[in-house]
Amino acid sequence: MQPTDFRFLRSAENALYKIHYESYDDWIGNFAKNLDLISNENSAKKINDFLDNKIDEKSSAIVIGRGPSLKKNKHLELLSKSDYDGTIICCDGALIDVLKNGVTPDKFKKFIVTSIEPYKRIEKYYIDEVVKSYGNKILAILPVIANPDVVAILQQYKVNIFWIHLLFDLNEGKKSFNYITSKIIRSRINEGLPAIQSGANVGTSSWFIAWKIIGVPNVCLIGINHGWDIDDPIEKIISHGYENKEKKIDPDAKNITKFVKKVFNPDFNCYALQDPIYQFYSETFKEFISRSPSWLNTINATEGGVIFGKKIQSMKFADFLAKHKY
Amino acid sequence: MKSNFKPSTSNNYKELEKSHEHNKPQLTNEEFEDYILKSGAKGSFMIYRSKNKSDELGIDEL
Repeated sequence: MQPTDFRFLRSAENALYKIHYESYDDWIGNFAKNLDLISNENSAKKINDFLDNKIDEKSSAIVIGRGPSLKKNKHLELLSKSDYDGTIICCDGALIDVLKNGVTPDKFKKFIVTSIEPYKRIEKYYIDEVVKSYGNKILAILPVIANPDVVAILQQYKVNIFWIHLLFDLNEGKKSFNYITSKIIRSRINEGLPAIQSGANVGTSSWFIAWKIIGVPNVCLIGINHGWDIDDPIEKIISHGYENKEKKIDPDAKNITKFVKKVFNPDFNCYALQDPIYQFYSETFKEFISRSPSWLNTINATEGGVIFGKKIQSMKFADFLAKHKY
Repeated sequence: MKSNFKPSTSNNYKELEKSHEHNKPQLTNEEFEDYILKSGAKGSFMIYRSKNKSDELGIDEL
């Protein structure tokens, strides 16, 4: 396995900073358009009241990502046939598949979907008849800078929305976006909202939501690979799953492999391949897991991918479901 | 699906690894940052860093 070069993590954080400040004006507009809804709807800190959740030391949540292991290991089929009664936290990109595979709020009453992106492009994760049909039984956690068009779709589908702040510049003090927006909201509703670390992606955000907001001491991960399968086409890997069609990356074919890291996962005895974005995601996620409180158990039941290491317990998803009923 | 990349002669990592395993070039810091800028990072969000390390794990109410 190639070693992690932590210089790259800081480079990635710098690059994300540049990318996102290109959209800063849009975030301000999004927040302004959402403000009436934020004022009239719910803070995410009230979500347990809606879930009728009584948290104890055995309580758990399952965070569902859309990594390749989800289909490969038939985890949705396994979950849909189980009698699990804990909280389901579904990342937006997985929602349609999750619902279509029988993991629905009719069967799993504590069903949450999460989004963190402030962009219109994530409409595609919601626009579907299956989402519409279950809309009024789904709880969504959204950032205050969510794209208003996405918010409108969720409203149209009667999804119950709960709001959070995404932390990014609070350390810059009273002139920071996080500080100013929090004061504006408090002036409207006399209370604040939870503010979460995104970890740069919705999977890591959902892990934070599970223990920081829902408060469960056991968080199970499925479909959180942060890597590609060893046989995936190199073009898919190097383009991060054909993610950005607008920009061109054209590394010399001879040098393509230097962008890709091959990782052996000793817990599941498998290899995965990481493009630089997944290298960044996984190292950051593992950093935050290693810093999480001692009362929290992070259980990786993905049965693939690259999430292993300090304070991460790996097990088969079937074993998790046998051990955790709620 | 349309790709942004020139077709390469290798279809997967195994073949590429075989041909370059003895001479694997190192990724520079600049190349890494450039990759992040040009690829799918738009779907990512910024990491929050603070002098108060506990705040980096989130704030119950802001």
